Amino acid sequence: MTFANLIPTLDATVFVSSSEMETRPVQHVIASDLMSDVLVAHLDDFVLVTSLASDQMIRTADLVGATGVILVNDKRPPASLIQLAKDLSIPLLGTALTKFAACLAIGKALEDKGDPA
Amino acid sequence: MNRLPDLSPEKSPLTLVEVIYSTTIREVMSTDPITVERNTPMSTVQHLMRDHGVSGLPIAEEGRLFGIVSVQDLIEALQQGKLNVPVSTCMTERVVTLEEDMPLSMAISTFSKYRFGRFPVLNAAQRLTGIISVRDINVTLVNRLLQQVSKFESMLDNEVTPGLELNRVFHTRQHDFENGGKASTTIKKHLVDHHVDRSLVKRIAIASYELEMNQVVHSIGGTISYRITPDAVEILVQDRGPGIENVDLALTEGFTTANEWIKSLGFGAGLGLPNAKRVSDEFFIHSEPNVGTTVKVVIHLDKKQKENAT
Amino acid sequence: MNIKDMARTCQWETLLEGADANAITSAYTSDLLSDVMANAHDADLLITIQAHNNTVAVASLAGIKAIVVCNDRTVPDDTLASAQKEQIAVYRTQTNQFETSCAVGKLLQS
Repeated sequence: MTFANLIPTLDATVFVSSSEMETRPVQHVIASDLMSDVLVAHLDDFVLVTSLASDQMIRTADLVGATGVILVNDKRPPASLIQLAKDLSIPLLGTALTKFAACLAIGKALEDKGDPA
Repeated sequence: MNRLPDLSPEKSPLTLVEVIYSTTIREVMSTDPITVERNTPMSTVQHLMRDHGVSGLPIAEEGRLFGIVSVQDLIEALQQGKLNVPVSTCMTERVVTLEEDMPLSMAISTFSKYRFGRFPVLNAAQRLTGIISVRDINVTLVNRLLQQVSKFESMLDNEVTPGLELNRVFHTRQHDFENGGKASTTIKKHLVDHHVDRSLVKRIAIASYELEMNQVVHSIGGTISYRITPDAVEILVQDRGPGIENVDLALTEGFTTANEWIKSLGFGAGLGLPNAKRVSDEFFIHSEPNVGTTVKVVIHLDKKQKENAT
Repeated sequence: MNIKDMARTCQWETLLEGADANAITSAYTSDLLSDVMANAHDADLLITIQAHNNTVAVASLAGIKAIVVCNDRTVPDDTLASAQKEQIAVYRTQTNQFETSCAVGKLLQS
């Protein structure tokens, strides 16, 4: 599964896209609002699901090598955040789902593609 | 009168020596000087000096230099009422000249030896091509030295060398969340651009970011210095206070002194220092209350890494 | 689903037992207390890594009946004391917020 596959799964709005999102695999999910929590996770090829729409969240995602970021609860990212995501080439999606519901949807999609959550 | 310092290569700063020995007189002199011919009357010399604000004029015909006439010569001619005589009767014939291929150092020593305000400059064919004044030298020296100073200042702050190796210092300010993380992002990009292994980049990025955000959240500001060699990445963070009361406690997972609004930004879970330590190969911390905290971490770039990195 | 059955099925560590009558029909996953306060009012279960005294206070205000603390985070004694007072069950799991959410979601859907 790729990050782009999550767009229909979450009925997501694409705020920032990247060429890599069609090819880089998604194998794990980190659903967190505490950047310190994201920084201690020992996972690769993961997407970050968060309700925190801050510049720091995008920086953290970049630093830990996240495949992309999904903003939940219909949060509208500020223009500065979109610009930063573009600068760092981090794809950014938004969904109206809660984080709980988004986790379920992504978990099911990963299972369907043969990558158990 | 102020004396010129000794500008010999042994006694001068290398930067100055480089400038005055590598710059030629051709680069410094004023070209196309105003000249007069031997039969030009002194009254014309007077007008030219006044109109062009020069205090000396070479006497030349088709590039051949016959002499030089100074303001001093003009004053004497005025006093003797000789404004209609040709300049050839008032000029100095035995002129000290410089050549355009000589280094600037030669001009400087000539100026200190003779107390003239200007010297005609000749080319290799002994034709007059320019004139050099103290002002020309001053302007050039100030410009060249300013360039050198700027270069040194930028080297102190950002010593960017081609390739992986890098020395760079960043500054952080208390609670400046907008810029917090920029240092780590910049360094991470540099490492990725130089093909450092992804798992190593992640460890370095995490250590760097934890320490950077610690400084933003807890300290009153400080610096983060990176030293990247083919062998290792060394991160040195130094803040100006307030210092940590109990370092062992700060290294305990879950211990935090962060307030609620910092936690609302997703920080302050008490994992920063332990996490930075976890991902580092070497970790050193020293803190003094009311003085500040210094943390140094080292992450080794292993042998395989060195082969990959360019 | 009964909270005790859910905790048993998910192999959560029980830090503070919930009442049998506590049926879980919905859950909310968040680590931001302000977010929980604003958006979690329909949820019975909070999935979080925030094991904090204030978490209990906010959960109580939002009508949450149980909290499951993820990533095996330490839960301070005063947090448990507050939870007891507010009659909120507290569990702990080694799994992260995503894995826990998926597990709870499957149980709620079945």
